[in-house]
Amino acid sequence: MENVEALMHGFGIAVTVPHLALMVVGVLLGILVGVLPGLGAPNGVSLLLPLTFGMQPVSAIILLSSMYWGALFGGSVTSILFNIPGEPSSVATTFDGYPMARDGRPTTALATAFGSAAFGALVGVVLITFLAAWVAKAALAFGPPEFFAVYFLAFASFIGMGGFPPIKTLVSLSIGFAIAAIGIDTVSGAVRLTMGVDELVKGVNFIVAVMGLFGIGELLIATEESFQLKSVSSRVDWREVVRTVATLPRHGVAMLRSAAIGCWMGITPGGPTAASFMSYAIAKRLSRRSQAFGRGEPEGIVAPETADHAAGTSALLPMLSLGIPGSATAAVMMGGLMIWGLNPGPMLFIEQKDFVWGLIASMYVGNIVAVVLVLATVPIFAALMRVPFYLIAPLILIICTVGAYSVSNSYLDVLLMLGFGVVGYLFKKLSYPLAPLVLATVIGDKAEDAFRQSMLMSKGSLGIFVSNGLVGSLMAAGLVLLLLPLWLQFRRLQVPSEEQR
Amino acid sequence: MISRRFLEIATAVLTGTFGAAVAISSLDNGIGWSTAGVEAGTFPFLVGLIILLGSLYNLVRSRLDPPQVSITRADMRALLALFLPAAAFIAAIPLLGMYVATAAYMLGVLTFRRGVSRLRALVYAVVTPVLLYLVFEWAFQVSLPHGLLGEILGL
Repeated sequence: MENVEALMHGFGIAVTVPHLALMVVGVLLGILVGVLPGLGAPNGVSLLLPLTFGMQPVSAIILLSSMYWGALFGGSVTSILFNIPGEPSSVATTFDGYPMARDGRPTTALATAFGSAAFGALVGVVLITFLAAWVAKAALAFGPPEFFAVYFLAFASFIGMGGFPPIKTLVSLSIGFAIAAIGIDTVSGAVRLTMGVDELVKGVNFIVAVMGLFGIGELLIATEESFQLKSVSSRVDWREVVRTVATLPRHGVAMLRSAAIGCWMGITPGGPTAASFMSYAIAKRLSRRSQAFGRGEPEGIVAPETADHAAGTSALLPMLSLGIPGSATAAVMMGGLMIWGLNPGPMLFIEQKDFVWGLIASMYVGNIVAVVLVLATVPIFAALMRVPFYLIAPLILIICTVGAYSVSNSYLDVLLMLGFGVVGYLFKKLSYPLAPLVLATVIGDKAEDAFRQSMLMSKGSLGIFVSNGLVGSLMAAGLVLLLLPLWLQFRRLQVPSEEQR
Repeated sequence: MISRRFLEIATAVLTGTFGAAVAISSLDNGIGWSTAGVEAGTFPFLVGLIILLGSLYNLVRSRLDPPQVSITRADMRALLALFLPAAAFIAAIPLLGMYVATAAYMLGVLTFRRGVSRLRALVYAVVTPVLLYLVFEWAFQVSLPHGLLGEILGL
């Protein structure tokens, strides 16, 4: 009941006229970056970050998180209407969303997507409401070894469950760690990995990495996709919306299952993209109408959308209560928290009650605002898709350049961004995941500090990581996840026919 | 035309070189155990080593890929058409400053585009830096670089 009381207090903070206005602005900007190819939630939020430095932290996080919700919804709009996923996590929505829209039911497809997305988000927020404070309380007893074990589990789950080639995931993750280590070492004060470039002493800001990897990289990828806009009508019939939402409970089982998958992947952190694909695959396997998947089956929209939004929302749970972001965008937001002078992690629930509960309450309201706004603005944003790419591309490039520069008024950052852009392009092309790289860039330092502090406690013995039940089981779970891909590969070798299916 | 295998190899070499550089550079900070605990270079050294080993694995693995075209000639042309002007734009910033470079970049990209009139290109080239100025310098008081040109003009 304590949580409900705190939540009500949070509503008092979140539901004010200025904060509602911020939500509207955030959601609209979010839909914009979600719709535009080459701009996504992680770099949209990064772009906005320097502009929030003068704000109250709670207002700033409401703006940024609303942008995140908007981007999640915006990505689905283009998936359904144009067969172009605006966000990686809405790729699975194109499988059935676009066929349904093409068959003359765009409103039904959009309403199905938004209805199930809202449900997924709701489950995620409820989970945060009731679990986050409890997790934070448990985490208060954590020492460095426990924290390192949790970080280890998070990184291992990327490798084991991220859905990308495990070694490529490991390389991407480690590059993130190396980037995080550049500059002054927080423990010893030594300067590391600057390779003779003095300006690198301040380190490489994660925003610069995000701008390049996601912004420039995605632009380069987008040049190759031919934008054949076989658009379908983008008019929204509100009666059809109501009718569709009313039929959603028919997919109740699929929605609950997808929400569970989404929350699990959001917390652990496998991320929204992996969650939506996994949920789609499982729905297809379990459905009695699995033959209809890929041809406009409603459940093929419900499953990825519910999981996508459940994962996107619940990714904020570990960020708030443990200081471990569950997705790339959450990692950027956590970077913001640190810049605003807050310390993400269990102490947040004690020291910054207004911030935490204001944010959680704003998630309820923000998602409602997002659903209404996205439905109301579908025709406008759909029209935006008709702005030619040759005009959008240089504009996005200029925005990213200015964004990278304004982080710390450094031209070196702009050059680094361009370099990250090339890396982002190559990585996307060759299915190296980018989210682990960003995550490691943001929390690499903390993971390393936790490891070194543990080592100091144990005087150099690794035995500290099995010294009690909690840390031991966390490490064991991490190891299982790490070895999971190996085991799967081994099984596949034994049953070669399975791969051919 | 560039094959997938070539891209895989190039990327693995790139990441591997980075990993090696990280590992070697961290030797300066000391690796291993000292009286002050784990030395500063240890963690980056291990990370660099993992990157290097992972890249070697990816390099070997790439030989198993079927030779398949990944970037066609047309793709390459589109890529370079975006990347080269962008690189030129970024290279011009220290000289021309953000605003003039932006205008030149927009004008350059749009003039070379078939189906865009000179007038429209000019309008975009003027409007974009003005918007940048209004949003950054005026509304959020973030100063963008004025470049060598700005210095000469005394801005």
